[in-house]
Amino acid sequence: MSDVAPAVAVAGLALSDVQLSLGGQPLFAPLSASVAPGEVLSVTGPSGSGKSSLLAWACGVLAPPFAASGDLRLDGQSLLPLPTERRRLGILFQDALLFPHLSVGANVAFGLRAGSGSRAQRRRLVDDALASVGLAGFRERDPATLSGGERVRVALLRVLLAEPRAVLLDEPFSRLDAPLRESIRSLVFGRCRERGLPVLLVTHDAADVAAAGGRELALRSGADAR
Amino acid sequence: MSRLPQRAPRRLGAPLLLVGIGLLPVLAGLAATLGPATSSVAWSELLRTPGLGRSLGLSLGTGVVAALLSLLLAHGLLAVLATPRAIGRARALALPLIAMPHLALAIGVALVLAPSGLLLRLVSPWLTGFDQPPDWITIQDPLGLALIAGLVLKETPFLLLALSAALAQVPADRLMLQARTLGYGRLRAWLLCVAPPLQRQITLPFAAVVVFGISNVDVALALGPSTPPTFAMLLWEWFLDPDLTRRPLAAAGALLLMGLCVGVLALLWAGGHAGEHWRRASAASGWRAAGDAGLQRLLRGVGLAFALLGALALLALWLRSIAPAWRFPAIWPARPGFAAWREATALLGDALPVTAGLAALTTALAVALALAAAEALRDRPMQRAALAALLFVPLLVPQFSFLFGLQVLLVRLRLDGSWLAVVWSHLVYVLPYVFGVVAAARGALEPRWRDVALTLGATPSEAYWRVTLPLLARALLLAIAIGFSVSVAVYLPTLFAGAGRFATLATEAAATIAAGNLRAAAVAAATMASLPLAVLALAVLLSALLFRDRRDLPS
Repeated sequence: MSDVAPAVAVAGLALSDVQLSLGGQPLFAPLSASVAPGEVLSVTGPSGSGKSSLLAWACGVLAPPFAASGDLRLDGQSLLPLPTERRRLGILFQDALLFPHLSVGANVAFGLRAGSGSRAQRRRLVDDALASVGLAGFRERDPATLSGGERVRVALLRVLLAEPRAVLLDEPFSRLDAPLRESIRSLVFGRCRERGLPVLLVTHDAADVAAAGGRELALRSGADAR
Repeated sequence: MSRLPQRAPRRLGAPLLLVGIGLLPVLAGLAATLGPATSSVAWSELLRTPGLGRSLGLSLGTGVVAALLSLLLAHGLLAVLATPRAIGRARALALPLIAMPHLALAIGVALVLAPSGLLLRLVSPWLTGFDQPPDWITIQDPLGLALIAGLVLKETPFLLLALSAALAQVPADRLMLQARTLGYGRLRAWLLCVAPPLQRQITLPFAAVVVFGISNVDVALALGPSTPPTFAMLLWEWFLDPDLTRRPLAAAGALLLMGLCVGVLALLWAGGHAGEHWRRASAASGWRAAGDAGLQRLLRGVGLAFALLGALALLALWLRSIAPAWRFPAIWPARPGFAAWREATALLGDALPVTAGLAALTTALAVALALAAAEALRDRPMQRAALAALLFVPLLVPQFSFLFGLQVLLVRLRLDGSWLAVVWSHLVYVLPYVFGVVAAARGALEPRWRDVALTLGATPSEAYWRVTLPLLARALLLAIAIGFSVSVAVYLPTLFAGAGRFATLATEAAATIAAGNLRAAAVAAATMASLPLAVLALAVLLSALLFRDRRDLPS
């Protein structure tokens, strides 16, 4: 068996020989990469290249008929044997996917870990988090009444309060107006860098890659791989 | 070496359990009906039945004509209403009619259309000059016209709801816009562009309407002709005959009815193909039929007339049930009182709680089973559709054809007249509707909501209770209202599985109307209609109150 754990646990997120296939057809050439804490790795490719499916696979929610091979390690530990809820990967989608039946505050609080204090303390945490992104007083609001930028900020808080060990971004800025996009980008990247989180960004927008400031990895199509 | 992410093993227990609950009684019952039905003596007796041909003709004629009229009216109304808002309002109007049991609605319609009924009272004597009910035959007419009207009143809203649900799969707005900008009239545009894809989605509900129309007792009891009656009514008399030697005759008849239904469905299927051929040829003719305003007005008028008939039927039930005596032209009973209700208390005192208890138990079981099955098949749309179709199969079998055999089996198992048997027999009819609503809502739910909850650290069961279930709440309320009304309405299964020992509002209403006791029938039918309407009203109210501050909740 060649499956020996590395002698030294490598900090950050590591993909090795990852390949997704649909009905036996590989979507892209085997992918290997590592993302250090605080670093952003941008994975680019045209639509249909399997970018979103890559993130779904990382979270453990890739639905059939997709199949996958390869390994995913976080700080040296393979995530694949873990169920989704124990992988502690936060994910942001291009639509914020706020739970429509919960208030803004309840959406943010959904991410809070158990044991993060009394009811009042948890409430304070949520209020402070909302205020820190310029959404003070939004706790009771219906997510449906929020603008696109506000929704992304709430979704970001929800992810961060869940204390993820890495963050996955699925084109979360693509639906925003251009002027807003820049400020939201720097908010998201800044918060992740502050916490030393490895970030895996998939996008087809070159400006996203430039703003991320990290390495870029272009997905090669599965046909090229053969 | 590569490893696949571990996925929980797929639990197919719930879907399989649903198939078993839905199909087992039907298959076993059909098989057990076959035994006695093979006696050649029974068949020769059946074929010698006086008026057999006319009875069969009546059953087929009324059932098929009513089903086709309902289909035409449902399509026509949707085409005329056209906008999503108007269709939403029509759906809201259709729901109460769908919730009202066939039997109760039929009794109500009889109280409206009879010569001494509400309709003639409204126009007498000032318009008609009648001081006495005229000597007309307006219900139980030999041609079965009143029966057809009753069936159309009940089935049009059902098909309207089924079609409007199918609209989610068809870009009707854009197709209509395309056709109408090319100069096609509204109705012709619908017929050519929207109706065909919609119709493919409601094949099974429409087939169920046809089979029910041909084989029903519920509506024919109050509105159908009596000399001779429809074939289903003949079977009903034979089955209820205390003379047990008639059972083989009845079993042979049940099998004949089954064969007729299969034959009619096959003919309609072939007719549908021929119609499709004609439609394609006609679509190339260039005929635009732009001047269809008159036809549109007619459709609106007929739709409105049926809506009024439904409202009057409910009103007539309530009025008749509180009127000890009701002299003819008076619209309002002279001394309305609750005497009839007090008389009926002894009867309803037992039947009402039994009916409500059965409906509550059946609906709760059906909703729980449907939720479990829909969750197991959440990312398997093909299997979900297959399960929905399988559960619909019992609705394509005439009730008599398997209920007879089922009763034989239940007696042998000493289960006849037990709660288990009756609840199971109700589940056979409640499950297809409840699963249909629940599975459609589950399938339409954005799958990433669950994924997001999981990535935030929620366990699968937390994600289910905190995210999936609340997002399904409104659909569940609708499923509960529909499931409850189906259970309250179910008559023959209650009669057979209950071995006549289960007195529900349905069995009481049927027994009293068959005995010609109109006032007692009105009391039972009024209660029977009011119970599901109350549950529906409660569901609609709760649905509006629940998450009322949340705009984007799926409905």
